[in-house]
Amino acid sequence: MWKVSSGLFLGWSLGANHTGNVFGTGVATGVVTYRTAIWLTALYILLGALLEGPKCMNVVGTLSHLSTLDAFACALAAAITMTVLTFLGLPASTSHAIIGAITGIGIFTGSADFAKLYRIVVCWVLTPVSGLVFAYTLQKVLSFLLDFAVPSLTLRNFIYSVGIIISGCYAAYSLGGNSVANVTGVYVSAGMLSVQDATLFGGLSIAMGTLTYSRKVMLSVGKGIVPLDPFSAMVAVLAEAATLHLFTQLGVPVSSSQAIVGALVGVGLVKDSRTVSRTMLVRIGVGWLCTPVAAGVIVLLLVKLASAGTGSPIFF
Amino acid sequence: MVLKQFFVGARREQAVIGGIKKHIELLCSACETFKLALKAGDRNRMRLVPEMEREGDIIRRGIISLIYEGAFLPYLRPNLCRFVEVVDDVFDCLQETAQHSLNITVPEQLLGECVRVAHLNHRMCEMLLFTFETTMEGKDLREKALAVRIYEKKIDDIKIGILKDARKIPVASFWEGESLSNFLSGLTNISNIIEDATDSLQIINVSMR
Repeated sequence: MWKVSSGLFLGWSLGANHTGNVFGTGVATGVVTYRTAIWLTALYILLGALLEGPKCMNVVGTLSHLSTLDAFACALAAAITMTVLTFLGLPASTSHAIIGAITGIGIFTGSADFAKLYRIVVCWVLTPVSGLVFAYTLQKVLSFLLDFAVPSLTLRNFIYSVGIIISGCYAAYSLGGNSVANVTGVYVSAGMLSVQDATLFGGLSIAMGTLTYSRKVMLSVGKGIVPLDPFSAMVAVLAEAATLHLFTQLGVPVSSSQAIVGALVGVGLVKDSRTVSRTMLVRIGVGWLCTPVAAGVIVLLLVKLASAGTGSPIFF
Repeated sequence: MVLKQFFVGARREQAVIGGIKKHIELLCSACETFKLALKAGDRNRMRLVPEMEREGDIIRRGIISLIYEGAFLPYLRPNLCRFVEVVDDVFDCLQETAQHSLNITVPEQLLGECVRVAHLNHRMCEMLLFTFETTMEGKDLREKALAVRIYEKKIDDIKIGILKDARKIPVASFWEGESLSNFLSGLTNISNIIEDATDSLQIINVSMR
């Protein structure tokens, strides 16, 4: 069971790094305290993982044929990739990393399912687009409804306060549902865990990351989004949540960071079209390319090292 | 805990709105007192203006405390505080002008126009109160903001006439001249600050859309 440890570590780092996109706005705008935010996030991540997590397990688990050691190596490679790219300041996605690692093993063993991989890559490309479309539509529709039905300043203030909390909880739920497969999907494929156990352990590891180490990222991400007014910040998080939820129903784990980037662009487009920058697009593109490639290379190195260490081939 | 925060927050917000209304209403009373005192040459009545300014300071401190105890989203708080501070600046200017008026006797040639400016200042304060209520209701501010600007323009036009006439008035000493100059300057500057307050309300209105 020690082989599960790399996945749990990956889950913990996912929880520590990605929950800033969920409640960063709420904490930075002072609507909720950090303490309340992390407990709400942890609770809804776990709920999302248990209720929606199985939907993505199938895709991740059947992308390649994995042995138990391969599963351990994939999760470890993904965790190392995330750490290195974060250290280098490049955007990194857990789903890209784990899929890259699994595909790396699959290419080497000849068991990779390229049809599924193609479907996953298409969804990755559509993630920021989906965030943009959801955010643009929500911003327009909700803005119209609020102007029509809620002109009062104090009532709007109340709605924004409640809305930021609800959208944060929904985003946490969607994050749990979409990301738990990244963390423990490989162990389902390797036959080490059942789907229910995988969603439970994965959800708990992500929740622990949120509870223990998300403060710094939550505050820095929140400040990045805070220059938006409360309504736009609420819409951006809601659009991110809807995007993750959509792709969870399609059974494909996607990047929450790219979903929120797309959502922010969508919100910006409603007011000012100059929010789309070449730098942002380049960073997204680099993230798409570097993360799975790096994870694939690292997992092969790990497996080669293990092979060399034991003196016999590890996989067939 | 979160629900309790909301209910307490809602009460605080109502208290802040009530406090700001009371602050502006006191400003309207102070402007009216100033106008009546100036018209009648009643120095005792004029001495009430600084007392009202002190009362306004107490209300202002209470409002800002409530705001930072948790009323309204943090995003909105600096704008609300800025508005309250600008209203306090009007009070300060009015109080200084009242003090200067106690040190001089307003020349007959200027009294009529000065009373007219004081009357317009009073009307502007009333319009500021309506504009604030409209902002809280979330309605369109354009007409009321335009009315404030029209009043301010009228005062600017009167100011040119007052300053032209003031140059013809002989003064016994430098300090008498300076007191008269400060009085006229303060009297005509009140409308500028009220216009700034209206602009602050416009910013609050836009920031929540």
